[in-house]
Amino acid sequence: MSLMTWCLMTTPMREQFLELWGRRWLLRQFVARELYVRYKNSAFGFVWSIVPPIVQVIVYTFFIRSTLGVRAENYSAYLLCGLIPWTFFYAATLDAAHSLLTNKDIIKKVYFPREIVPLTYVSSNFIHFLLGWCIFSIWFYGIKGLPLLWEMLLFPLVTLQLLIFVVGMSLWLSCLSVFYEDVKFIYQTFVNLLLFVFPILFMADNVWYWALSSGRPWLYRIYMLNPVASVINAYRHVMLERLPPKSLNLKGTPLDMDWSSFAVSFVLTILFTLAGYAYFNRRKWEFVERER
Amino acid sequence: MTDSLSGATDDSDLTSLHSRHLVEAIRVDHLNKVFRQKHYSSIKRAVFNLLRAEKVVNYPALTDLSFSVPQGQTVAVIGRNGSGKSTLLGILARVYRPTSGRVDLLNPQGNAARIAPLLSLGAGFHLDLTAEQNIVFYGAILGLTPKEIAKKRDEIVAFSELEDKMDTALHGWNDGAKLRLGFSIAVHIDPDILLVDEVLAVGDEAFQNKCYRFIAQLQRAGKTILFVSHDLSVVERVANRILWLQNGVIRMDGSVEEVLTAYREDAKSAPPPPNPRPQNPGEGE
Repeated sequence: MSLMTWCLMTTPMREQFLELWGRRWLLRQFVARELYVRYKNSAFGFVWSIVPPIVQVIVYTFFIRSTLGVRAENYSAYLLCGLIPWTFFYAATLDAAHSLLTNKDIIKKVYFPREIVPLTYVSSNFIHFLLGWCIFSIWFYGIKGLPLLWEMLLFPLVTLQLLIFVVGMSLWLSCLSVFYEDVKFIYQTFVNLLLFVFPILFMADNVWYWALSSGRPWLYRIYMLNPVASVINAYRHVMLERLPPKSLNLKGTPLDMDWSSFAVSFVLTILFTLAGYAYFNRRKWEFVERER
Repeated sequence: MTDSLSGATDDSDLTSLHSRHLVEAIRVDHLNKVFRQKHYSSIKRAVFNLLRAEKVVNYPALTDLSFSVPQGQTVAVIGRNGSGKSTLLGILARVYRPTSGRVDLLNPQGNAARIAPLLSLGAGFHLDLTAEQNIVFYGAILGLTPKEIAKKRDEIVAFSELEDKMDTALHGWNDGAKLRLGFSIAVHIDPDILLVDEVLAVGDEAFQNKCYRFIAQLQRAGKTILFVSHDLSVVERVANRILWLQNGVIRMDGSVEEVLTAYREDAKSAPPPPNPRPQNPGEGE
């Protein structure tokens, strides 16, 4: 965090950030507008932000139980720890990639800090994300009676990393897709594959035993530097008890949480996002001059 | 700085409530704006362009522009299409960044001015929102806090004469009604400087007259106004001073009669401007 403070203290990034902070009320307005417009014409409104993940979980649980023969109890909880962050990452970055183009009319006419536009979509999806966790908690801790763990206090820390990463990704994508329209399409196409790359439908432990058996354990270390993989893995360790051995067809016992790997990934995330913010700020004046 | 105020000071001698001329409202110093047209629209082209020298086309929209506007003056910017009027307004509204040079916008106390840009018909409006919600949103874009907006809300609604439509979405509204709402918000946020881009031409005559009366009221209150218009009758009616731009430089700067006479003379005699540039993003006309 001291690195972040240092970077923010260097002008002009510090100025940009202070300006953005001064206009946080405008960001709130943008988010309110976005949420209002999204659900204005639907009878069930906000319900639509939680129904798709629930259906997804039912389908995936059934699919994985029947094909992979997973016998763990409450396996859907482990799936959700992957799907809730994944849905946030997926929806927010895709929305943000289009955001500057969707809002180009207003950008061309009035000045306001341009970061607000991609951040709007991060924020509105973040609200859905938190809502998803609320429902998760009510269902699994309230109704199903899963135990509460002291590690849950680390939930905000894990969430912070995810949020920082999604912000960085959104800044990069929104800015790049203004100048290179292919970026949007490439991302749209390949982001779906990431569902199978990140440890969402399987556990990070599966990757570890696969890397071990192939004689390249260092692959796992690299894999876990990926912020989304690291965050999903951390959520599972923070929110849920360790899976019982043999429940996942693992070739050994499930792993303990590796906080040092998490920390490295966290630092990389911060650097990635700071670089994205710097790049965005460098080019944000060119958005309006872009011919189209 | 060029002494661009000659001929304008006498004319701008309105009955101002504030002590003027202590701080200038707008100070533009050796302003240049060049639009570069080299942006790649695809990665493929960007990659190919790594291999050869890229071709950059520069369009100077404004060249070495210097002028200043004292507090409380109303300046009309005129000129043919592509002369740089809208670019200038865009730079003052901070939508474009100058390529070089300096622009200062100050309030009478010498602090950064609050600017109300009326650059286009309701650019900040979202058609799915009601008028009520749009007032809050538009106000936030122009830099108002929720408390400030709440305070101004009644005045805005009353001025726009749209009380009965406040709870309807803007979808079905006609342009005139949107303009009325946009104008009402922009002038009621208590701006130090009002920037207007050719929007008064819309709206019925009764509302236009109301706008002119309100502008006169703003002028009396010592507000600075800078507007772009092709309608010379509007210019004659409202402005104290005219800035005539041609191909990105000041062709003439002076009192209304002086410049208008020369401008009309020029429009009669002059052939079309040499080398018409393609429309750049600054010329949304």
